[in-house]
Amino acid sequence: MSEKLRYAEGGEVHLDFHGATNTTIDFIIGRYGIEALDDIFRKVGRDVYRSIHDDLVAGDTEQLVAHWRHFFSRENCDYDIEVGSEEIILTVRHCTAWHHVAKLVGQPSAQFCDQTIRTNEAMAEGSPYAIDTEITGPGSCRQVLRKRA
Amino acid sequence: MIPSDHFTRFYNEVFKFLEQQGEAELEAYFLAISKNQEKHILELIQTRGLEGMDEYWSHIKIEENCDMDIDRNEDRLELRMNVCPSLSKVLDNDAEPMRRYCDHCAGWIGPIMDKTGYHLVYDVIDRNQPQCVMRVFKDAAKAKEAEKDVKLLMGWPGHKV
Repeated sequence: MSEKLRYAEGGEVHLDFHGATNTTIDFIIGRYGIEALDDIFRKVGRDVYRSIHDDLVAGDTEQLVAHWRHFFSRENCDYDIEVGSEEIILTVRHCTAWHHVAKLVGQPSAQFCDQTIRTNEAMAEGSPYAIDTEITGPGSCRQVLRKRA
Repeated sequence: MIPSDHFTRFYNEVFKFLEQQGEAELEAYFLAISKNQEKHILELIQTRGLEGMDEYWSHIKIEENCDMDIDRNEDRLELRMNVCPSLSKVLDNDAEPMRRYCDHCAGWIGPIMDKTGYHLVYDVIDRNQPQCVMRVFKDAAKAKEAEKDVKLLMGWPGHKV
């Protein structure tokens, strides 16, 4: 466990929370539209993950990488992280969250992965970096952090 | 992915947004979450009553890392949350806690108890402390009597206090 992590959790994991996230995504979009959902995820990225955001603004990527390792491991995802000199690539081959929701409800919300896309964008907002998230298939993606041009 | 460990901090942001939209919107969300939770608990209650509730919350106690005591007798189930991990995380947070965060628990549980014919008495005690006591009674009169000892009684959609 990295000492850099603002939030490092232990104990069991309760994957059913991902089902509640899925319900929440559909609820917010259905009543307020996608912009409201984007705004909530932006607040998660900038306020809840303020420590990671502030590190990225200062040019430090270490906590974000530690965060990815800690939580993707806790959720038993199939993933790897390549840390290069020009970019950092998180490749998720099996996202436990997506697949757990698929097991619970059949088809996750079409916007389920916005939690990753928008939160990543917000964490990197105002920093020298951009984090681009490419959905590569059902429950798989590639998240790339690189310096902005 | 927002880790399942961090769902409560996301939840907190959703509550803050919905509170700005008005009380009815917050209640509509509690009902949506309640409906979502039915797939985990409704059949257990309908088929096994208090014993089914005991099974559900015993599982939650483990998975959500709760410091919680569960006591059940013929008449009622009592959950005594000594340290609530959900509110604890929301308070240990770089984002501001929603001042009524605790309302969501009765907000989703109450409608399920109404639907299944049980009577909920939810004592949050203090919204700033991660402790609460939840009691579920078979008998409405016993629930009403138990409300007299409560410090901060919670209501839920369709059941104002």
